[in-house]
Amino acid sequence: MNTYNPITALAVFFALSILAYLLFRPNKGWFWLIKNSSVSNDKIVVEDVLKLLYHNENADKHLNINDIIRTLKYNDRLILESINKMSDHELISIQGDSVKLTKSGSDYALRIVRAHRLWEKFLAEKTGFKEAEWHERAERMEHELSKMDTDMLASQLGNPQFDPHGDPIPTNTGKIAKVKGIPVSELPIGTIGRIVNIKDKPEIIYKQILAENIHIGSVIRIMEKTPARIEFHSEGEAFVLAPIMAGNITVSVLEKDVVFEENLARLSILKENETAKIIGISKEIRGDSRRRLLDLGFVKGAEVKIDLLNPLGDPKAFLIKGTSIALRQNQASKILIQKD
Amino acid sequence: MDTKKIDHIISLSNDLRWQIGDEFHDNLAEGIYADAAEIVKDSVHKKDETGAFRIDAKIDKIITSKIWGFPLMFLILAVVLWLTIVGANYPSAMLSGILLDTIHPALKGFASTIGMPWWLDGFLIDGVYLAVAWVIAVMLPPMAIFFPLFTLLEDFGYLPRVAFNLDHLFKLSGAHGKQALTMSMGFGCNAAGIVATRIIDSPRERLIAIITNNFSLCNGRWPTQILIATIFVGALVPASYSGIMSLAAVIGIAVLGMIFMFLVSWGLSKTVLKGEVSTFNLELPPYRPPRFWKTIYTSIIDRTLIVLWRAIVFAAPAGAVIWLISNIYLGDASVASWLIDSLDGFGFLLGLNGVILVAYIVAIPANEIVIPTILMLTVLVTGISAGAGAGVMFELDSVTATGDILRAGGWTLLTAINLMLFSLLHNPCSTTIYTIYKETKSVKWTLVASILPVIMGFVVTFLVAQIWRLLA
Repeated sequence: MNTYNPITALAVFFALSILAYLLFRPNKGWFWLIKNSSVSNDKIVVEDVLKLLYHNENADKHLNINDIIRTLKYNDRLILESINKMSDHELISIQGDSVKLTKSGSDYALRIVRAHRLWEKFLAEKTGFKEAEWHERAERMEHELSKMDTDMLASQLGNPQFDPHGDPIPTNTGKIAKVKGIPVSELPIGTIGRIVNIKDKPEIIYKQILAENIHIGSVIRIMEKTPARIEFHSEGEAFVLAPIMAGNITVSVLEKDVVFEENLARLSILKENETAKIIGISKEIRGDSRRRLLDLGFVKGAEVKIDLLNPLGDPKAFLIKGTSIALRQNQASKILIQKD
Repeated sequence: MDTKKIDHIISLSNDLRWQIGDEFHDNLAEGIYADAAEIVKDSVHKKDETGAFRIDAKIDKIITSKIWGFPLMFLILAVVLWLTIVGANYPSAMLSGILLDTIHPALKGFASTIGMPWWLDGFLIDGVYLAVAWVIAVMLPPMAIFFPLFTLLEDFGYLPRVAFNLDHLFKLSGAHGKQALTMSMGFGCNAAGIVATRIIDSPRERLIAIITNNFSLCNGRWPTQILIATIFVGALVPASYSGIMSLAAVIGIAVLGMIFMFLVSWGLSKTVLKGEVSTFNLELPPYRPPRFWKTIYTSIIDRTLIVLWRAIVFAAPAGAVIWLISNIYLGDASVASWLIDSLDGFGFLLGLNGVILVAYIVAIPANEIVIPTILMLTVLVTGISAGAGAGVMFELDSVTATGDILRAGGWTLLTAINLMLFSLLHNPCSTTIYTIYKETKSVKWTLVASILPVIMGFVVTFLVAQIWRLLA
């Protein structure tokens, strides 16, 4: 008894760990793949086709069957079957090669869009998922919410008009608020405006915009514009973007008499021994954490200065209303101040 | 009212809501806050407190400075732990003198005078009473020292600064800065550490803190670590260095626990706990002189006695089980020997042995009785003469004698090191498991918190054993 080769034991152990890793690694594990593939069904394909048509018709683009097959990542036969079925149910009308939404089809599509955007709003308000993850999660959830679920969700969230990216959420009667705005890439130099929308597709560009730390609701001024780059100032910092990124950010131009606060800045760039007044909290801080900051005294007009620096750099402690409150850098960057 | 009018009102309200827009609620709330701030500014007059504030600021500057911040923190933690471990020796010795050496024989004597049958006497006195007495003797003094000290620091205002200093490290592992506090609280007792996670306001970080609290070496485990390190690790070097060597080994295990705490926090926040709500803000209150007696009173009542009571409730049945498995015979061997035999193979694979695994199974209720149980079972299996008979836990006054028994049971340096590792990485005691359930109200997370460390313990001891055998 008790005689065995340690090498054999180790080999068995590593074989088992590799197997467990292949089965259960996040997202790509076999176990998850099998679990997910059994879920994907006709309903999802139908709804994805409807959504695709809806978004394209909104942009005045008309698609044919080939376009649909190329854009969606399902197998061709499944898509063709779904399109036939949809045409039988009069969700779409096929004339020759081009596919159009019928009235009932576009109502259905609107309901999916509503569910998607409401879910993104929910994720933003009530959960801690990263911004980059919202779209993908809503993409899965939109197929699972019934009309009643969506209405309940809407009233829970206070019937919001816009999702966290600034896209309008259709009401249950199909009404859609208009986004008035111009892409940053088309603004002339010197324009002052407020960011109202950041497109979440394509994902690569969205992630780059997020990485630049640009927030919805920030006031910006265009400083420089060349074919290769666009520079604007906002909240005390300068941002340089490629036109393709700038094209995905929409700005509503502000009236001429609004004064652009040149010394408006983010709390994160306040230095030791400087004092400042709070101007407001960015719209990117939502829900409970926003209320908590207000409770702690980060309200308009309050005076703030740095109380303590951290041996590791982050977080910093701010002195506000006679109390020392430590905030992490990412939160401080979403509080706007005006330096004295 | 007819439905037409109701519908009209509803649609009117929807229209109005549409017109005032999304930002209405926020603007209103912020307006109220700003107005309130204005009113306070006009009507409330504060005395000039700059003088007092300046002392605070000076202390803060040192405590959070790049040079002194971290050394001070480790120094204070080390002093607290040292006071606890060394200071607890004397009352512990006294308590065990009374409970184990005086009352236990007296009870036995009383039982035999009234003619109690041997099995009832064994079950109640050698089983239940002895386990409870042991837990009180080992657990009460360190807790009664550690918790008041900790509460004094908290009251003074130092602990929030520790959280402030360490937050960045915790942020990197996806956790909350205040986890630094619950982690150090866990050095006293994991159950108390888990209750303390109530200070973390976001649910995700709180769960992380609860699940990883077990990686703080608690009072019930420090004595095991120190004893085993003294017997086996200290003996590796000349006698004059053995004290330092064994101390270094114990501290090494505690630091390893912290490393595991960070790693597991990171892993949890990247996988199963991804995307729960997370917020961070930490108030750094002004320093104030601690209210000494009140602090001591509340910390002894709130923390020490409640935790001790739970431990006793769980230890009593454990004592009964230990006595029963050593005294109930199946065929020609006791239940304990059967268990030990069947677990020996697995134990060997982990560089441990069957005795240790059985001791850890029956001692789930209280880590304090692991060493006494191991000694009793080793004597039972090897048949050497020591102790007071089957099912009677004991400890020896002399470290050398304890070492002799363990070596007779086939222990090597590998067994000792793996026991130290396994004592760090195994399931929390039942008091802690119960507390986790009470705090999370979730069977799922209680299971995760209980099973995860044991799996890690198996993996780590297994790897160490194999590599050791390859190299040796």
